[in-house]
Amino acid sequence: MYQFDYHRPTSLDEAAQILSQDDEASLLAGGQTLLPTMKQRLAAPSQLVDLSGIAELKGVREDSGQIIVGAMTPHDTVANDKTVQAKIPGLAHLAGEIGDPQVRNRGTIGGSLANNDPASDYPGAVLGLGATVRTNKREIPADDFFLGLFETALDEGELIKEVAFPVPKKSAYAKFHNPASRYAIVGAFVASTEQGVRVAITGAGPCVFRVPEMEQALNSNWSADAIKDIKVAADDFNTDLHASADYRAHLVTVMAKRAVQAAG
Amino acid sequence: MTRRGPVFAPDDNAAAPARARPTARHKGGVSETAPHDSALRHVDGGAKYIDDMSEPAGCLHLALVTSEWAHARITGIDTAKALALDGVATVIAAGDIPGENDMAPVMPGEPLLPPEVAEYVGHPVAAVAAADFETARQAAKLVEVHGEPLQPVLDLDDAIAREHYLLAPIVFQRGDPGPALSEAPRRLQGGTRVGCQDHFYLETQVALAVPQEDDEMVVYSGTQHPTEVQHIVAHLLAVPHAAVQVEVRRMGGAFGGKESQASLVAGLAAVAAAKTGRPVKLRLDRDSDMLVTGKRHAFKLDWDVGFDDDGRILAVDMQLAGQCGWSVDLSPGVLSRALSHADNAYYYPHVRLTGLFCKTNTQSNTAFRGFGGPQGMLAAEAMLDAIARSLGKDPLEVRRLNLYAAPDRLLTPYHQTVEHFRIPEMIDQLVASSDYARRRAEIDRFNAGNDVIKRGLALAPVKFGISFNKPEMNQAGALVNVYTDGSVALNHGGTEMGQGVFVKVAQVVAEVFGIDLTAVRATATTTAKVPNTSPTAASSGSDLNGMAAKQAAETIRERMRAVAAEQLEADARAVTFAGNQAVAGNKTIGFGELAQACHQARVSLSSTGYYRTPKIHFDRETNRGRPFYYYAHGVAVSEVAIDTLTGEWKPLRTDILHDVGSSLNPGVDRGQIEGGFIQGLGWLTMEECVWDAEGRLLTHAPSTYKIPTARDVPRDLRIELLQNAPNEEATAFRSKAVGEPPLMLANSVWLALRDAVHACGPGGRAAALDAPATPEKILRAVEAMRP
Ligand SMILES: Cc1cc2nc3c(=O)[nH]c(=O)nc-3n(C[C@H](O)[C@H](O)[C@H](O)COP(=O)(O)OP(=O)(O)OC[C@H]3O[C@@H](n4cnc5c(N)ncnc54)[C@H](O)[C@@H]3O)c2cc1C
Repeated sequence: MYQFDYHRPTSLDEAAQILSQDDEASLLAGGQTLLPTMKQRLAAPSQLVDLSGIAELKGVREDSGQIIVGAMTPHDTVANDKTVQAKIPGLAHLAGEIGDPQVRNRGTIGGSLANNDPASDYPGAVLGLGATVRTNKREIPADDFFLGLFETALDEGELIKEVAFPVPKKSAYAKFHNPASRYAIVGAFVASTEQGVRVAITGAGPCVFRVPEMEQALNSNWSADAIKDIKVAADDFNTDLHASADYRAHLVTVMAKRAVQAAG
Repeated sequence: MTRRGPVFAPDDNAAAPARARPTARHKGGVSETAPHDSALRHVDGGAKYIDDMSEPAGCLHLALVTSEWAHARITGIDTAKALALDGVATVIAAGDIPGENDMAPVMPGEPLLPPEVAEYVGHPVAAVAAADFETARQAAKLVEVHGEPLQPVLDLDDAIAREHYLLAPIVFQRGDPGPALSEAPRRLQGGTRVGCQDHFYLETQVALAVPQEDDEMVVYSGTQHPTEVQHIVAHLLAVPHAAVQVEVRRMGGAFGGKESQASLVAGLAAVAAAKTGRPVKLRLDRDSDMLVTGKRHAFKLDWDVGFDDDGRILAVDMQLAGQCGWSVDLSPGVLSRALSHADNAYYYPHVRLTGLFCKTNTQSNTAFRGFGGPQGMLAAEAMLDAIARSLGKDPLEVRRLNLYAAPDRLLTPYHQTVEHFRIPEMIDQLVASSDYARRRAEIDRFNAGNDVIKRGLALAPVKFGISFNKPEMNQAGALVNVYTDGSVALNHGGTEMGQGVFVKVAQVVAEVFGIDLTAVRATATTTAKVPNTSPTAASSGSDLNGMAAKQAAETIRERMRAVAAEQLEADARAVTFAGNQAVAGNKTIGFGELAQACHQARVSLSSTGYYRTPKIHFDRETNRGRPFYYYAHGVAVSEVAIDTLTGEWKPLRTDILHDVGSSLNPGVDRGQIEGGFIQGLGWLTMEECVWDAEGRLLTHAPSTYKIPTARDVPRDLRIELLQNAPNEEATAFRSKAVGEPPLMLANSVWLALRDAVHACGPGGRAAALDAPATPEKILRAVEAMRP
């Protein structure tokens, strides 16, 4: 490693304060992405602002019919939370499908969303459920949050406080794992909500996206059969060492069907 | 279990003609499941690997500077910035090698550090020595390598098309396949391909070189071939062999990857140690290890086969194109073994097998458990599968029809007559015990009624030739010392890599002396004790070293017998060794007491032993002879299920019947069978090496390269050793080698996947499924199979 300063503030304001004074400072959640990146010198922040000392960022609670997950809540907590399991089983299941036990106990929802890795799972749930990302400055609807490859609507110095998930009528997540890393080659999150059906696909393209044709089809007929012939175009999908774009496109339909089946 | 009649005089390895009933048996002799000698220490951390050794004072650490080009002329190496870094001791490059800059195991011309041309991305062109590893690594990044890029050849197809070969093709031929092919009632042309496989030993490559007095060097090297490292270090440093001592207590897995590849690491450490006069350690991190060292050869396998209406093969013309990477390395042996296993268990009346040494600008592919055999065998199995499908028959039926058979269907493509062929009855036994026929029918019914999930079932035999293909490598030495308390120190040329060669050879020695295994200590392999050894490879570790150690122990025992006869006032022929004592009639003397008596009587209690495998010979000009002393056999039946929507699959059940002769240690042998099968399963279904268009290996860590884990093993895995099946040849207590053969039992999994894919269409042709059969490839094969 190299020289950097380390802070462990106990309040959100203090964290924001440090960030605002230094462009080169970086937030540290579970370090699951940030630390390897630093070791490879792909990132070299001057200061690390460790969020683990801020109590209000951690944990799951229910608030006016929504499930609120603090930014520093590890995946494992979400996966095993009784309320989440009961109210949004798709979300609990998704969290339990992330990586391996070590990653699930260190990695956080805030870190995952801020990073917006194209192969990550949480963006699927956040977009698929139409959740709201609450930061220290504002509330960002999921549809506006994910902008592109590793790109989000977060401003410089803005930090995620928590995520508010509306409780859907039903939801489920179906994931095709990369056999080595366990990241998503394709993940499909489907939810039937008061406002209609939402289908979000992660892993396949540079950024999570919705599939309106599938949503329409499922709005009129909630069944796997309704979407079996809906194909997404592979044009801007990822072709890499893990899978070809065509294979990913094929998997989108299969995973979406599986998710609908799982949601019941 | 079927019983086999005695096929030879049962006790020709035993000692005395006149035997007294031993009062008690010693513990841990041959045929017992004695735990691996380090089993507990592996678990509690007490087992020291080279990286665990305390570093000598002043020890330097090396980091590699590697080529960014797949092919380039090196025009300069600027080390100024690296040398300026605090803690950096030196940078070594080709010019720093005092002796001959070559680390080739077979054909000269493989420089330790390239003086002119870098041949692949990852090719080490220099190395930095510093006070600690972090500094060395940082400094390595500061070394500037200047070069002019040259045109690389990156993939196998390209190399085949350009005839870009390292060596002239080799051909095995018997009969005249040309006319036989054109006259055959049926003829098929086809092929398959199989990818590279990384060894993924848990302990990465490591060496610690410690300069001694004068020009001497001790090298602790994670190598399967201490003698070769000794020779290479000696000529790199321009010192006699006797000035270099190479030692290895154990490796954390090797699988062939530490045969020739270990020389690079040991050689660099030794050159840096000689230059600085300080101890030097080089341990590759996982990424470097994968980026730098060679892998299992990828192959493109193409056949032209003629057969009759029943599926009986009449003639085969097959091309096996191996991807060797940038250098010759061990490829001659690998290709030779690929060709000599392209028959597997099947008789080809007319046959021509052609092996191509394709050169690519990638890591230098090398030995890997099976050494080409698995790839050759895969060609045979895929071809048999294709024949059966073209006839609409169960592949098992066609396999049985083509098995080697007495009296006149026994000659291999390399003109060795197959003897003691156990496959036919092993197939019968496994077909019965695995309930093959009923399950075949049940699976066919299931597949007829299910569109999404298809199940597959396949049986695959394995016949694997035991001995190094090169006759001169089939020799071994051992050194046995009995101390005056009756404890025994054992040393031999075999290296321990977790496979259990130490415990097996110790069991042989315990058996010869009739003492408990706990009285026998296996000691670190070192060129200073047993010289001029062969690598621990070709499954031969226990066979060769077991026999050498047996001979050494027997020499001592016969000396002790004479002393015992005096002590017990008995005829020497009446003395036996068992239960930790020498026994004659009703008189006994403890083994330790006897050792002490020998010393008193001035009788030497130390002996070397030497063994060379009998019967073998091979002419490398004509590719004819008897390269193999005997064959090890195995049969596996595997069942899988595939998801035809995604190509995902699951192993459901595997039944294995494996032939280890009279097992020296059934527990260790089962471990080898399980491990080999699972490693083979990884090779054929999930482990995939991917290079980008510039020749950079993208899969160089477990996050991108998938090896099988406990989750990938069939839940229902039934392994049986063939019972009452002593080796007909006079191996150590009639045992058989077991290191490599079980890997190929996994062919049954790959064939079962092809069977499941086959069930997705109307049949008539084999699945177009190559290896590794990843989900994406399975899905593509399913789609190609659909009507
Ligand atoms: C082996 C492995 C396997 C994995 N498998 C999966 C998988 O299957 N699916 C999956 O979805 N993910 C997977 N991950 C990713 C993992 O789940 C983490 O969510 C991800 O790595 C982020 O890590 P972290 O939460 O520790 O954040 P960090 O690494 O600490 O931070 C990541 C980035 O987010 C920023 N950040 C952190 N918190 C905040 C915040 N509150 N507000 C604003 N910015 C913030 C940081 O500054 C940094 O830039 C895997 C990771 C590993 C190492």
